[in-house]
Amino acid sequence: MATDSSLSPGLTPEYSTPQAAEASVIDASLRAPLIALTASAVVWLLIASMLGIISSWQLHTPAFFDGCEYVTFGRIQPAQTNAFIFGWGFNAAFAVGLWIMARLSRGALPACGVLLLGTVFWNVGVTAGVSGIILGFSTSIEWLEMPGFVSPLLLIAYALISAWSLVVFRAGRSKQIYASQWYLFAALFWFPWIYSVAEVMLVLSPVRGTVQSVVHAWFAGNLFLLWFGSIGLAAIYYFLPKLLSKPVSNYYLASLSFWWLVIFGSWAGVARLIGGPVPAWVQTVGAAASFMLLVPIVILGMNHYGTLSGRWSALKDSITLRFVACGIVALTLMLLAWVADAIHGIAAITQFTYAVPAQVQLGFYGFFSMVMFGSLYYIVPRILGTEWASAPLAGVHFGASAIGVALLVGSLAIGGYNQGFLMSDATVSFADVTKATLPYLLAASTALVLLAIGQLAFAINFFWTLSRASAPAVCSVKGLLAAELEAAR
Amino acid sequence: MNRAPLIFLGVFCALAFSFVGLVLTNQLTYGAFTTHVDEDEGKVFPLQTPGIAAQGKLVYQDLGCVSCHTQQARREGFGSDIGEHSRGWGERQSVARDYLRESRVLLGSQRIGPDLRNLAVRKNPDNVAFTADWLYRYLFNPKLVVKDSSMARYAFLFETRKIIGEPSPKALKLPEIYAPEEGYELVPTARGEALVAYLLSLKDTYAYPETKNVYTPPPASEEGETKKGHE
Repeated sequence: MATDSSLSPGLTPEYSTPQAAEASVIDASLRAPLIALTASAVVWLLIASMLGIISSWQLHTPAFFDGCEYVTFGRIQPAQTNAFIFGWGFNAAFAVGLWIMARLSRGALPACGVLLLGTVFWNVGVTAGVSGIILGFSTSIEWLEMPGFVSPLLLIAYALISAWSLVVFRAGRSKQIYASQWYLFAALFWFPWIYSVAEVMLVLSPVRGTVQSVVHAWFAGNLFLLWFGSIGLAAIYYFLPKLLSKPVSNYYLASLSFWWLVIFGSWAGVARLIGGPVPAWVQTVGAAASFMLLVPIVILGMNHYGTLSGRWSALKDSITLRFVACGIVALTLMLLAWVADAIHGIAAITQFTYAVPAQVQLGFYGFFSMVMFGSLYYIVPRILGTEWASAPLAGVHFGASAIGVALLVGSLAIGGYNQGFLMSDATVSFADVTKATLPYLLAASTALVLLAIGQLAFAINFFWTLSRASAPAVCSVKGLLAAELEAAR
Repeated sequence: MNRAPLIFLGVFCALAFSFVGLVLTNQLTYGAFTTHVDEDEGKVFPLQTPGIAAQGKLVYQDLGCVSCHTQQARREGFGSDIGEHSRGWGERQSVARDYLRESRVLLGSQRIGPDLRNLAVRKNPDNVAFTADWLYRYLFNPKLVVKDSSMARYAFLFETRKIIGEPSPKALKLPEIYAPEEGYELVPTARGEALVAYLLSLKDTYAYPETKNVYTPPPASEEGETKKGHE
């Protein structure tokens, strides 16, 4: 790898040694599992957006479906969150993470049977979990509502899927480890730990009193900031330099922000307990750790905006870049909102209002999902060996998503602050507080419909592309796998 | 940063650090927190939830009530949960010991509806104490009792049945248009009864040593504003 070391370290290593033949072998080896993961992700995305519209509609029109126990807000809303996080989020993260890891490590997938089995297990687990919530077996613990019996299945499935990222890393020929891979390593390792701790200490053998709330805040903060955050950042660090054909600006600082985020981010989750019945030091530590996030905000900004600066015109040509750029902006705003919410005076107003879901949506939707969409627009044609079936549908998807996210987050945030101000004024009756939020909730529902239209366009485009490409692809995948194994020997 | 084992080790240590610092430390220190024995009253606080209310909590969980309702009163001066000129959502702030006997703590993160932690000792919108009958009618159709309520109806917690012998004392007293036909009555199902029993068991009124002599800040000059040194 003598040639590698002479190149700028900020350039995606794979780009620096363009070996088209190798890349196509890697892509072919990943074809079947990536199609399975992406297809499940897209189906879950549609389910989640449908549930999201129902639950959002119930907020301003309480009579909507209120005769049926299974469609009440208290069940649909957690079902939506779980379908979104574990159905769409994880499937998409597995697909994009594995592909980036394989490309950067320059290693092909030796076999895909176990990985496909893991995908089936995962989706069976999520299906059982989401149905369990709707049928009334919810644990009522935010983001862990799925009944306890699905957690072993999800953990096994996770192991079966994520182990292959390590396999392709070990099999790979690249001697460098790039920023995207740090984040992927961290994320891979992170989820089983936080998830098993949370399931054991909250669901299977609950700890006493509000220690549960601390464990839960720790889990939720880590899942949000360090699992979804890491996967999204891995994709940003991969696609920005690759699509702009230039190294990441100030790349030497990237490792600092990585360690800073890993060390302080893992403490920041408990900031949400400010004012709650938990020890004061826990709240203070959470707030302090949240302030520490200012450092990665600055460094990530220097890396991302620095790389983009002067090249904004490139956004016109690449749909992936447009999605990723939106994700970068959303990430900055989400982290700034996180820091702001750790300030006492602000927390006293925003706590328990729609400003909280606004921030969560900004993270899951504006940042994570937008980056995943962008990544999939790049990855899918490469693994299928074809172009996207329809460019206009992709344009509709981008437009609807960008406007939808802005409208959703904007209306919930402004509505939430308004709600918080009115709520802290005890002379305003609770019913009046609720009434004041109605226009914002209507705007949020409109935004969700817009987002659903975009997602539908994405799903149609994906399955259309798949059906066009599937006939030759299925035949050739075995041949390519055999060829790749020969090459490996 | 080109050594995979080092990255793994670093990531492991970072997570272990926060796991030990937040999860284990809390579990080992205040996870061993005990109930308070009041020798004057001869009772152990917090009190055990009675059986039917414990069942009601499971109904509360399976219906996902926590999606809209918190169960925590924040301290005076932080929001307007308790104290003077507040919403009166409790006599005092919630403390860790209040939740000690709960196998599932449902603090909640959204106040789409009001807080419920001290429902049993609060005044309802008509400014009298909550009663089972009021709550039944509210759950059956919230708009019957609170005109502007934005809660959904939970009519499936009730059933219409034929009156055999004496009418049930739990039967809902409904206005003409909602009343069941002659000879029939609308009564809560077992789940409805349990849920209401749970709601009426919600109160943190006992004064623990840690809730006495708590420093309360002087009234803030402006709503929502907190001054230095309130911690």
